[in-house]
Amino acid sequence: MNVQIDTAIKRARGYWFVDGFTEIAIGGLLIILAGFLLISMNISQAPFPSWFLSVTGEITIVKVVSFLIAIFILWWLKDHFTYPRTGFVRGKITVTQILVIIKNMILFLLLPIIGLLIASLLITSTGSVLSSLPVWFPVGLSLMWAILIVLAGEWMGLHRFRLLGVMILLAGIGVGIWQWAMGLPNIPANIQPKILQPPVLESVNRALTSLGLILLISGVSLMFSGILTFIRYRRENPQPYTEDV
Amino acid sequence: MSGSLQNISELDRVIHEPARLTIVALLSSVASADFLFLLKESGLTKGNLSVHLSRLEEAGYVQVEKTFRGKIPHTEYRLTQKGKSAFDQYRKSLGSIFKK
Repeated sequence: MNVQIDTAIKRARGYWFVDGFTEIAIGGLLIILAGFLLISMNISQAPFPSWFLSVTGEITIVKVVSFLIAIFILWWLKDHFTYPRTGFVRGKITVTQILVIIKNMILFLLLPIIGLLIASLLITSTGSVLSSLPVWFPVGLSLMWAILIVLAGEWMGLHRFRLLGVMILLAGIGVGIWQWAMGLPNIPANIQPKILQPPVLESVNRALTSLGLILLISGVSLMFSGILTFIRYRRENPQPYTEDV
Repeated sequence: MSGSLQNISELDRVIHEPARLTIVALLSSVASADFLFLLKESGLTKGNLSVHLSRLEEAGYVQVEKTFRGKIPHTEYRLTQKGKSAFDQYRKSLGSIFKK
């Protein structure tokens, strides 16, 4: 027996990810959302505001339905595959943990606000903020997403999450560079009173395309990581545990 | 006796044993776990794990719950409030020894 206490605690916390199913499910959800967003952007003929409102509502329904289906499939898979091999664990969420999560979420939300404040010092007008939206939005989003994944990985002792975080950040930077290379929409400094003018809509549309691409890349990365984890788990635990093992 | 030595002698002997410390640490981060999970994660043999779980149960640190998952009997172990307090106290005591 050579188990470090800190490692043992982290392994117990990260048991939900031991078999790769959770990553595959989250990856699948992200791919469905990305596909839904990208496809609806390309096929919809409606003008932007009404399209955006309708797609927001539809995405919420897709998210809730997919989430419930994923939970049910995960529960079934774990019950029939994971628990007979490596045991059953009931997770716990205490009031203290909820408070820590809330505190971290507040800090996490403060980061982009601080980023925006710094950016507002560097960028001189609303027009240039909107014009550069297709560049800073994917970079900022992937940075937040990467930090969240790496921190969660550290808390659960899952070192592969570091690599996932780096991949997602690189994807965001890549999408940002791609958008920048395409040229930014030319938005005048004073965009009032008609804010929904074609260059602004182009900027928002390109930011949404970036969002779709980041969701897609994150989903594929998580799914790939989950499949590799599953293969390793399956190799280490080929049969359900029996008395003879 | 110096302060540090006194702190060492005050360490909870039930938890201080490495195998039991591992079991308590594993149970501290989950609501409950079954025998197979503890067996796989602790690296103990079945016999050893049973003995140490019994010792922790006797001390009132671990509670055993026998239930059914479908038609299969299922035994879950969870830390009691006394066990959680003892583990927290043990970590504090150990920390204070190394601070001095």
